Amino acid sequence: MSTVDYSVEVPAVQGRLSLSEIEELVAKPLDSKPDKKFYIALGISTSVLGIGAICLLITFLNGVGMWGNNQPVSWGFPIVNFVFWVGIGHAGTLISAILFLLRQKWRTGIARFAEAMTIFAVMCAGIFPVIHTGRPWLAGYLMPYPNQHSLWVNFTSPLVWDVFAVSVYFTVSLVFWYTGLIPDFATLRDRTTSKIKKTIYSIFSLGWRHSTRHWQHYEKAYVILAGFATPLVLSVHTIVSFDFAVSIMPGWHTTIFPPYFVAGAIFSGFAMVVTVLIFVRKIFDLQNIITIDHLEKMNKVILATGMMVGYAYGMEFFIAWYSGVQFEQFVFINRAFGPYAWAYWIMVSCNVFIPQLFWFKKIRRSVPVMLIIVIFVNVGMWFERFVIVVTSLHRDYLPSSWGMYAPTLYDAGILLGSFGLFFTLVILFTKALPVVSISEVKAVADGAQPSHHGGEKHG
Amino acid sequence: MSDIKKTSSQNPDPHYWQSFEELYNSKEFIELNQNEFKEGVSENIDAGGMSALSRRKFLALLGASAAIAGTSCTDYRDKGEIVPYNKKPEEILPGRPNYYASTCMQCENACGILVRTREGRPIKLDGNLDHPVSKGKICAQGQASIMGLYDPDRLKNPKKKLDTRLIDINWKTADEEIYFELINSGGSEIAIITNKIVSPTTKEVLDQFIEIYPSAKVYSYEPINNEVRNSAWEKCYGDGEYPAIKWNEAKVILSLDSDFLGSSNNKIETARLYAEGRDVMNKNFSRLYTVEGNLSVTGMNSDYRFRLRPDLQMNFILALTSELNKRGAGISLDTFGMDLKNFADENALKLETIDHLVNDLISNKGKAILHAGDHLPEDVHVAINTINHALGNDVLYNNKYVMNSVQPLRTFEEIQLLTSRMKNGDVAVAIHINTNPVYDLPGDFGYTEALKSVGSAISFVEVENETSSVSNYVLPINNQLESWGDAKTRSGFYSMQQPVISPLYDTRQTESILLTWMDGDPAFYNDKVYHSFLIKNWEQKIYPSLNHKLDFNRFWNGALHDGIVITNEKGKGIGSFNVNVAQNIKTPNSVDGFSLQLKESYAVRDGRFANNGWLQELPHPVSKIVWDNYAAISPTSANELGLNSNDLIEVTNGNSSLKIPVMIQPGAADDTITIELGYGRTNGGTVGTGIGFNSFSLFTSKSGLTPFLYSGVNVKKNGGTYKLVTSQTIYAFNEGITKDLPEKRKIIQEGTVNQYSKDPSFIKHENHYSDLTVYPPIEYKGVKWGMAIDMNKCLGCGECVVACNVENNIPVVGKEQVDEGRDMHWLRVDRYYTGAPEEPKVSNQVLICQHCDNAPCENVCPVVATTHSPDGLNQMVYNRCVGTRYCSNNCPYKVRRFNYFNYRDYFKDGYQESPVFALLQNPEVTVRSRGVMEKCTFCVQRISDARAEATKENRELKGSDVKTACQEACGTNAIQFGDINNEKEEFHKYRNHELGYYVLEEINIKPNVTYIARLRNTHSEES
Repeated sequence: MSTVDYSVEVPAVQGRLSLSEIEELVAKPLDSKPDKKFYIALGISTSVLGIGAICLLITFLNGVGMWGNNQPVSWGFPIVNFVFWVGIGHAGTLISAILFLLRQKWRTGIARFAEAMTIFAVMCAGIFPVIHTGRPWLAGYLMPYPNQHSLWVNFTSPLVWDVFAVSVYFTVSLVFWYTGLIPDFATLRDRTTSKIKKTIYSIFSLGWRHSTRHWQHYEKAYVILAGFATPLVLSVHTIVSFDFAVSIMPGWHTTIFPPYFVAGAIFSGFAMVVTVLIFVRKIFDLQNIITIDHLEKMNKVILATGMMVGYAYGMEFFIAWYSGVQFEQFVFINRAFGPYAWAYWIMVSCNVFIPQLFWFKKIRRSVPVMLIIVIFVNVGMWFERFVIVVTSLHRDYLPSSWGMYAPTLYDAGILLGSFGLFFTLVILFTKALPVVSISEVKAVADGAQPSHHGGEKHG
Repeated sequence: MSDIKKTSSQNPDPHYWQSFEELYNSKEFIELNQNEFKEGVSENIDAGGMSALSRRKFLALLGASAAIAGTSCTDYRDKGEIVPYNKKPEEILPGRPNYYASTCMQCENACGILVRTREGRPIKLDGNLDHPVSKGKICAQGQASIMGLYDPDRLKNPKKKLDTRLIDINWKTADEEIYFELINSGGSEIAIITNKIVSPTTKEVLDQFIEIYPSAKVYSYEPINNEVRNSAWEKCYGDGEYPAIKWNEAKVILSLDSDFLGSSNNKIETARLYAEGRDVMNKNFSRLYTVEGNLSVTGMNSDYRFRLRPDLQMNFILALTSELNKRGAGISLDTFGMDLKNFADENALKLETIDHLVNDLISNKGKAILHAGDHLPEDVHVAINTINHALGNDVLYNNKYVMNSVQPLRTFEEIQLLTSRMKNGDVAVAIHINTNPVYDLPGDFGYTEALKSVGSAISFVEVENETSSVSNYVLPINNQLESWGDAKTRSGFYSMQQPVISPLYDTRQTESILLTWMDGDPAFYNDKVYHSFLIKNWEQKIYPSLNHKLDFNRFWNGALHDGIVITNEKGKGIGSFNVNVAQNIKTPNSVDGFSLQLKESYAVRDGRFANNGWLQELPHPVSKIVWDNYAAISPTSANELGLNSNDLIEVTNGNSSLKIPVMIQPGAADDTITIELGYGRTNGGTVGTGIGFNSFSLFTSKSGLTPFLYSGVNVKKNGGTYKLVTSQTIYAFNEGITKDLPEKRKIIQEGTVNQYSKDPSFIKHENHYSDLTVYPPIEYKGVKWGMAIDMNKCLGCGECVVACNVENNIPVVGKEQVDEGRDMHWLRVDRYYTGAPEEPKVSNQVLICQHCDNAPCENVCPVVATTHSPDGLNQMVYNRCVGTRYCSNNCPYKVRRFNYFNYRDYFKDGYQESPVFALLQNPEVTVRSRGVMEKCTFCVQRISDARAEATKENRELKGSDVKTACQEACGTNAIQFGDINNEKEEFHKYRNHELGYYVLEEINIKPNVTYIARLRNTHSEES
């Protein structure tokens, strides 16, 4: 193995791209007309979205009985999907906010995309709590608004916390994302020759002139927003975990849930970002901006968070045993060996065992292997939520009311539809906005910073 | 400017000024300042020149046009005229229920009922407290029968068969044509096929009918009956019927395949008396031994239970006799050399327990009772009667209210004779009065075939059935709540039946139809025909015999008001025992193959309730299966045949066979198949058709030990499966990690009578929980509601479930939805097995919302749709409920129920949405829509009602003012309800009973339903 020179920072952008080349590279998809492949991809994703929409429509017409939910498993796929999608969102905020504050330059290439995925994932997630209610047309009751009944929401209910947490998260993410986009909008405005595009870009660039003063304000605003977003990375999934942890159900009522959920969210979010970026960097020829180094770094995060999740799995069992509470012990034994053991072992294999391969540098840097692993992680993390929601409920306190949960085609259709929505938005995004932050990448490109060597590398 | 300057000599007055004019007080300014309005603005108003429209008028017009615009553009549809009472009926007060006493005529027991009506429509049936036998209780079928009144399938007018289809005709045509048939029967028989007649006046009508049409004969039969027991009784005691038993005075009860607590035909009285003998308050406990072929309600409640195939009961009883005789019982019964020890060994009966049984019978002479099932052969009953007599147990026979049939049932032989006469063409007219012989007579009678040779077949039905579909005339009759009548089932009292609503459709009462045919002129009929006949019959025949002090009119009104007429008629005493009868007992045959027993369904009885969704969805008390019958088989036999639950088998009994799914029933005897009757209706209405399997097809007139019990039956695996659905899912038997969970989790806490007498608070010792909480405890001042359920009395029968369904407008969801785990029952009876699958111990537990003080459902609801009331109720606010179902997840008892669909239009045919069904709903209880959570409310509507009543009477509300629907319905008074804070109330004793515990007490949610631990009355050596 060759020795690595740790004194030299690995360049965030490879291939010694000039600033104009970077701009050209990123803006290329926006300048060209969508090609056939784009339409095929969009066609597939909207069809999948359409399946979900039809399933949802039928559910609206008949009632949530179209799904597999029952007593005792009153929450099924929709809540699993909700937690799954909220989790997916976390990588974006972590990358864009926390890594920004930590001055991780490598984030620049992936931050924009990850943030976009956050927003889309939260949009997907946001649908579920509404549609899963028995009477979605009354979902407004969950918002505290003054009304003549003097009825207020129940502030002790974690579901209300959820409403706040997720909506704040969505708002802050959106504002943060948009703020980051302003300089790029200006760049695009300056580049484009189309009148319509120019008008649109002009509006969204808010009169940006690349002046030093603008940059000064921008940097300040960006840091502040990053500061806002950082606690949200921790709080949102903490609060989502409260949906379970605050209850009295064995298997849910666990103090480890907040950190466990946050780690899991980052884990799954990174896996999803890697999954999508592998394709994006290939299709849009961004290998120099989204480098293999970036992917490797993300894989390291996946490895780390995967082990945190694994620790949580182990700790849940230990605490159940250590507590001496029969109900707790039973739930965990039932999880691993009961009727849903297959789901549990899928979860453990995908989330704990398979990511261990990332200890090997070769695997971390091999795109095809990495793709397979991160897809396993995505599957595993979906199953984690399934295991938590379903196995805890299906055999709870009174054996008389135990039951089984089996999703219906409508459940599957709506889950599929949420992926359809996500990828439709992602595909549209790639053609509508710069998938990489032009200004940020320029800033970290070789030679962008003043140095003693005039931009030359260390001898 | 210069002018201003000129006048500027004065000192500027205001310190602040806005213009030079103001500063220097110019003349114009002062003038302007004094006039508020500028010139031309306020002066010279010419009234004539203004619009004629005054301000008032303008506003009036504005308002009127707004009103017109507002009202004329809505889509208000005129829903018909609403006419208020012109003269207010004296007894109807809108919003207040009225109660009428009547009699339930759904079966031969004719229990007294109170019908609750609202605005003239009956909405609930409860027992009449004054009835000497049923004492305020009715069975699940009685409770549910209110649905029959509003059944959308009810026939609405007479029909006549033309070619192969039925066409509508009017009553005049029907009367004329049938009258023509009757008078032209020309000596051929007119057969009237009816269920057991309990009404003396109906009998009078039939007697008079026979006088007019001498060729008429009445065949009263019940497909499931206790004729075997009665004929044995007649042989033993000369005459009379098998008497009621004073179960409450029995110390030892031995049930030989007798399900006297579950489905015997005098169940209401039996269960009540039995529970009186298991009273934890008086520390009074009988001991129940059961020897049975399949686990029954009685078996679940027994202290000791043996499994024995039912065709060996005769051998068992003889072996027992020989042992009793060894101990000097002196029973004059030939025991054919049977020996109890050998018998026990051969049939794996536990010797130790057998010993207990023998000892108990010997040492409790005169305080023990042996009781055999209706389906056992006559010899068993004769032997039982002999033993009871020899042990002096006949003192436990009830002498006061002796069974007294108005008209004895016809035997199956007589019915079979009828069918052969029919086949010979000797029967001109067959009139089926609400009977269904095509469905429920033994197949080899060939009744359907025979009916084809009958001149004219007529069916009187409420809802079409198998028999009506092959009849020439189908005549719709009144529901019991639209009918007049009387009933006499026992000596010492009459029970009165009166209509509480005028007929919903163009239907007539059976007796009126017959009376019209007796007269011959269709115009003879009016809706008072039978009413006046009834009054006349009472006035002339019954009233004089009563020596009543009041004049007849007052007596009659009183009788209708009370629903009961007590007479001082003395029941004919029990005759002397004929000791020689036992000599006719034949040597018991050896048994082979499978033993098949056919039992009455716990839910739909003999099939007559098949169209009642509430009953179809009532979980079987033992197996918890809904919407089906099945073949119950023991785990060992299933293993031998390689069967799993849901596998189809073929049961062959002589020439008839039936394909039916099996259910492995823990506790069933080996080589025994038990199938319930009453299912597999082919024309049973929208709900009942095609539900389950018709086991009447195994019913044969010969080759059986009795029509309900067969030996040497062939059972083989048929291949294929059929899904049986249980309300208590997946958890068939507990093994491995799920073993004995109910005990480990202290859900079921039990003990023995001995344990209790040694240490009365042994339950309390085990339950020490700290009630640490970070919240300050909430104080409940005034009334706080609580419930107590005495598990010593609860039989697990499910009457409370049906009562709750009726009271609280619980929809029927169907088999598929129950399978999904979405049954809507607010109240359920949980059944747990412990021990080995072959010999399980069974525990039942009624589970409803526990109205926890620290209700976990309340704090998780995001929209405060479930809250706590100051009187301790956990409330559901339907209008506020969004349907997140979080509350249900967080309920450790899983008693919350969610409307996954609008279950009223869930069925494709919208059966439950038919307008007539809406009349069934209790107007005091919201009909819940789709997407709403619901659960037990402790019958909050009744609490509100009682509170209003107390306020009106200017007194404090007491706990005893309220009775919940389940409490009212519980046949054994196992459910108590009341005020936790009132120490003077009866309820206080239950709430604070030393055997009381709470389910899942350790999670500190402070439930308010106290369970009084069940005590098993086992022998002292065993515990």
